[in-house]
Amino acid sequence: MTDTRVPVTVLTGFLGSGKTTLLNRILTEQHGMRIAVIENEFGEIGIDDALVLDAEEEIFEMNNGCICCTVRGDLIRILGALMRRRDRFDRILVETTGLADPAPVAQTFFVDDEIREQLRLDAIVTLVDAKHILTHLDEVKPDGVENEAVEQVAFADRLVLNKTDLVTDADLVAIEARLREINALAEIVPAQYGKVDLERILDVGAFDLSRVLETDPQFLTDTEHQHDVTVTSVGIATPGEVDVDKLNTWLGELLATKGVDIFRSKGILALAGDANQYVFQGVHMLFDGDEGRPWRDDEPRTNRLVFIGRNLDRAELEAGFTACLTGAPA
Amino acid sequence: MTTTIAESTIWQATVDDVPVALTVGGRLVAVAGAEGSCAVFDATTGEHVTSLAVDGGLLDAALSPDGAHLALTSTAGYHVWHARDTRLQTLRAHGWSARARWAGNDRVAVAAGRQITVHAADGALLWQAGPAPSTITDLTWVRQGREIAVSAYNGVYRYARHRTDPVSHLPYPGSHLVIAASANDRWICTGNQDRSVHIWRTRDAKELEMAGYPDKVTGLIFDDTGRWLANNGAPDITVWDFAGKGPAGTSPRMLRHHDAVTGLAWQPGTGATLASCARDATVALWQPSTGAPGKPMKPAQRYDLDAPATAVTWLDQRRLLTATRTGTLSVIDTAAARPKGAE
Repeated sequence: MTDTRVPVTVLTGFLGSGKTTLLNRILTEQHGMRIAVIENEFGEIGIDDALVLDAEEEIFEMNNGCICCTVRGDLIRILGALMRRRDRFDRILVETTGLADPAPVAQTFFVDDEIREQLRLDAIVTLVDAKHILTHLDEVKPDGVENEAVEQVAFADRLVLNKTDLVTDADLVAIEARLREINALAEIVPAQYGKVDLERILDVGAFDLSRVLETDPQFLTDTEHQHDVTVTSVGIATPGEVDVDKLNTWLGELLATKGVDIFRSKGILALAGDANQYVFQGVHMLFDGDEGRPWRDDEPRTNRLVFIGRNLDRAELEAGFTACLTGAPA
Repeated sequence: MTTTIAESTIWQATVDDVPVALTVGGRLVAVAGAEGSCAVFDATTGEHVTSLAVDGGLLDAALSPDGAHLALTSTAGYHVWHARDTRLQTLRAHGWSARARWAGNDRVAVAAGRQITVHAADGALLWQAGPAPSTITDLTWVRQGREIAVSAYNGVYRYARHRTDPVSHLPYPGSHLVIAASANDRWICTGNQDRSVHIWRTRDAKELEMAGYPDKVTGLIFDDTGRWLANNGAPDITVWDFAGKGPAGTSPRMLRHHDAVTGLAWQPGTGATLASCARDATVALWQPSTGAPGKPMKPAQRYDLDAPATAVTWLDQRRLLTATRTGTLSVIDTAAARPKGAE
């Protein structure tokens, strides 16, 4: 079944990372698409065939106070008004400020049914300024204050590494390594002057369960850290058959207790007795899972999971998951 | 009983936009469109009077009761149109403006971003409140036009004229989308993003919560007597009885016919007749007082449209105006002779 919902791309990145340049490129390129843009920073974007709406960030907690129910009230409103229009947009771009927390933006697409019915979050694209990103990532914030740059990198499905012309090749290697360490899932797209092959950032399908872990995550093996590594990616690849009951208990508990710290999660699992893959993805505690394609005959039934988050304990995650395999001691 | 709309239609017209709000005043009706157009018609004949266009998509339209002025609110500001000289006056050219509501013929309150502004009919600014903590989603006049109650994130705020700060705050965590006050001001209710209806008794701010709706509650209105509150949020429309001590511990009337209700309108007066419209391309009339609490009931009358309905309102006690997503407006004579032998 084809998904006819309008795709939404969330564009994040610090001021000066080249967001406006990229946005302008997306809007002016000859692609024949009707695009609506929701802008957070009062830019000067005015392009024929693009509808531009201004948003002022309003973070709403739903009344149970749980972080996964933190949404963007302004987006619910604006997207609601957009969807009432007769002319159908082919795509919506949401630009966030450099200081915005991506989680409420992403969660908005899962919490509001009206939005969910008509729109699908395609991907979070984070622009990174090669020249300044390491400084931003290493900036020490007061206790309790998030480093937004780290969060925006951690949440990304695509990292556009812009202004690569301003750094040396050696710097580039170090930057990519640092980005990988935080986010092993996102594809890194190097760019200059915001010139990006649009296919690599539009129609990514990052939240599409049928495309979970389509590209292999790239984990770093090097573990010598010179800097703060609170936010990291943890990948698990283990052959074996998963006991569904144990998995439900473990994942349920994990997301309930650590959901605040787990920004993104994705996985493909081999459930005991099931010829099909089980695929899942989550944003904080919002979790979406379904049966995937059949395991191929020549394909090892390897469970693959990736968590991106804060203070992740690799050993604990591995032990927790391994205990969900059939034959594991209860 | 089902009637195809043609059998009881008084007039029909079309607009080149998606109607999002209907308003009636004097001898006029106006239709606000999602893409920023507004068409004004003669309520009796359906004759086209004028068409207006503003920047941004329209969110609301409100004719003054005498039809002399029309307030338009949009995703980018708000405007007043004057019937006498057909002048469209822009009062603010930026900012999400969710709602406009008249108090009599000479004052209109606008939810302009986080602020309430009140203008005279000629557009002059009478007063404005200080900004609320978040964007105002809806407003209603209370205390015979002396105060304004608004819904916003985390509750209801009440503003009195010429005062910057709210005179009271009825707190409740969550995103409040629509507000209604009973005619006697005894109750203030909101419909919520968290799929609930929240109710305050104004005398002592005692709260009631009607939770568990499958959808967010985006439509919520009291009838003229203040006894009946109708709201969406479920396939069934629920109607709460506020007689006596109010609805605490009671079950609502459950009006079963639609699946996604897009508009609700009580017939003016004391008849307790409710009109509803829905995405299923039907309009229904209900007599909730004849049903029993907690029991599903059927419409007294049903009209089939040719496209999903987006809004409904009464022109008077007899004529009902409805709009469809494809831009068709129809005025239905609800008292027209019903075909014999129909369902």
